[in-house]
Amino acid sequence: MVLNKKMAAVGLAAAMTVLPLAGCGSNDKENNAGGSAPASPSASASAPAASSASASAGDADAVKLTGDFEIQYFVGGYGDKWWKKVIADFKAANPDLNVIESGGPKINEQNKPRWIGGNPPDFVYIDGAGLNDRQMVEDGQVEDLTEWFGTAKNVDGNLIKDILAQQPQQYDGKIYNIPLVLNSWGIFWDKALFKEKGWTEPTDYASFIDVSDKIKAAGVTPFIHTGKYPYYIQDAFLFPAIVSANGDDYQILQDMADSKADAFKSPAVMAGLNKIVELRDKGFIDKASIQINHTDSQMSFLQHKDAFIPNGLWLPNEMSKDVPAGFEFGFIPSVTQEAGGKVVANTSTASVAIASKAKNKEAAKAFLSFIFSEAQASQWAELSGAPSNIKGDISSSNAPSFVKDAAKFLNDPNTVVIPMITFNADVEKVMWDATDALSIGKITPDEWVKRVTDAAAKVSK
Amino acid sequence: MNTSGTAKWQRNLFIASFTLPTLAFFCVFTIYPVIKALYYSLFDWSGMSDHMDFIGLQNFKDMLRDPIVWQALGNDYFLVAGKIAGIMLLATFFAVALTRFGFRLSGFFRSIYFIPNVISVVVVGVLWNFIYNPQIGFLNAFLSLFTKEPVAITWLGFTSHTIWMLLPPSIWAGIGFYMILLIAAIQNVPDSLYEAAELEGANQWHQYCHITLPLVWEQMKVSIINIMMTTLNGSFVIVWLMTEGGPDNTTQVMGSYLYQMAFRQYHFGFGAAIGVLILVTSLITTVAMQRLLHRETIEMS
Repeated sequence: MVLNKKMAAVGLAAAMTVLPLAGCGSNDKENNAGGSAPASPSASASAPAASSASASAGDADAVKLTGDFEIQYFVGGYGDKWWKKVIADFKAANPDLNVIESGGPKINEQNKPRWIGGNPPDFVYIDGAGLNDRQMVEDGQVEDLTEWFGTAKNVDGNLIKDILAQQPQQYDGKIYNIPLVLNSWGIFWDKALFKEKGWTEPTDYASFIDVSDKIKAAGVTPFIHTGKYPYYIQDAFLFPAIVSANGDDYQILQDMADSKADAFKSPAVMAGLNKIVELRDKGFIDKASIQINHTDSQMSFLQHKDAFIPNGLWLPNEMSKDVPAGFEFGFIPSVTQEAGGKVVANTSTASVAIASKAKNKEAAKAFLSFIFSEAQASQWAELSGAPSNIKGDISSSNAPSFVKDAAKFLNDPNTVVIPMITFNADVEKVMWDATDALSIGKITPDEWVKRVTDAAAKVSK
Repeated sequence: MNTSGTAKWQRNLFIASFTLPTLAFFCVFTIYPVIKALYYSLFDWSGMSDHMDFIGLQNFKDMLRDPIVWQALGNDYFLVAGKIAGIMLLATFFAVALTRFGFRLSGFFRSIYFIPNVISVVVVGVLWNFIYNPQIGFLNAFLSLFTKEPVAITWLGFTSHTIWMLLPPSIWAGIGFYMILLIAAIQNVPDSLYEAAELEGANQWHQYCHITLPLVWEQMKVSIINIMMTTLNGSFVIVWLMTEGGPDNTTQVMGSYLYQMAFRQYHFGFGAAIGVLILVTSLITTVAMQRLLHRETIEMS
């Protein structure tokens, strides 16, 4: 349900992305690998136009794409306009290819029997309930893209790995899926309220604690989160805290995601947990948090019952109907860094992958090269309310201002951008339960570590 | 001889034409899924791929070692006990009050008490979520009338025993149906029995104990067993709507844990094993209850 909202935010952007592509001359017969793409303005960024011949996944050179090519895409908050447009353009670029669309809000369920039966679509957008990228990797359902990703160029002739804002997740060093959407977790507040009350906007942990003290003294609860779905506080508060405490090295999160039990015993994890304990013991956490869902916590925040909320960039869109007049969203990806330390942006994404049993892998790889182009990026942001995962300056686009702010953060060299992370579902659930229990004082940080370490040891057995 | 044979055959055909389709439906929609669940419970399967590993009884062994399963089992039986006590006491009270005391408006109250049964469980869950909401909830607002400081209890966020808070909505939603069932039973009791008792000087309590209770016992037994079975199989809905088993699994029941494991944590085989556990516990409890509640049947004539 939460995903839906995110998607709603991003969906719009998708639709427009494709327009410029259409103008890029993809209507000729040379297919995406051909010379038409360099005509697009973005190609100048790197690489002579000539190199674009190898762009299509390094295998399809001048080969015409033929046969059937099926794309499965979930339609949620981000909508389906972008998919419709990009697919239409891809068809135009490859007239001999029969592109089949399987899209819809229930598509993950509808196509499940085919994945189970070993007859999946070629290309899959992993988003929404019922699909989990790590599980698909473990089940061997998606293609190993490690080698392809190393050299793959998009239709503009740029190396795809160079233009991604957020790198793909590595499963024991291998890559299977590539993040398409870039969204960021972080802490929100109301700038207008802070101005009115004379509170300072936080830039690091010390200033966050400072201002929280003042907020509490003024009779407002400083911090509310979503206890029913503890990943809000984990993704926007705990994980950045852990990365900051680990010397800005996000490798620790990747190790945690790989269920390496020792990673959870790191002092950095303890430092992060102790920050939650500090908020708890100082009475900064709204007691209502533990039992409420995201809508309730967000309403509370919008009504100024609470000053800060850990959430994702989709929040302003998600609550657009309920935002009071004069409310001005302030956003920072993390508040847990030391003064002068780097901001840590924990990302949230949806990714794309190729089925390991795909019948038309050539076309699927060509499609990847097609969609990871700069032409898509600004349109995506405009329509979806979330940045796309392709680096680029969107300040001149029509994207909402907080998206531009966030994009600024995410493109800043002083920001640590955590790559895509998907935990093992078992470990994640134990972690959620433990974080909830920690936030209401049921367990200590040591017990948190014990619980999660045990769970990790169990799954990595 | 020949004619009677034909008659017998026709009779059998007649019977078969009713029983066979029913049996077929029963097999396809009940027996087959149960067998399939038993089958899947022997596999390590994510439920998402074509890849399945046969692991024998390993899921069941894991289940016995999983503390959450035991907690869920405990919560389930807590709900069973709580609901039987709460629903039966209140439903019986209302049923007797609305029939034996014969005051005006009894039809009105009968409808009022039945309303929660007409409301979908989803609405019940959402409604009670609002009642329990610590900030804007009715319960805290009501309690705050009597205190200086506003009350801010997180009704669904206790460190343990949060399952208690799911009892009131379950009981509230269940009373109406069983009340109607008992009203029907009580109305079947011949008035002459009560009249005779009245003449002999028996008061309402005596009439209840010696006439009503024995004569509606069969219906009460059915009600109790029905509450037990629907709770073991169906408490999932209210749990999932209100807490999703949280916080920290304190409200987890077998049904919600099955869903969590099968569809959220991708252990379909383990989920199926929990399903088998639910089946077995329901069967055992039903048989045990039948024994426990057995009384001499009293005929009314």
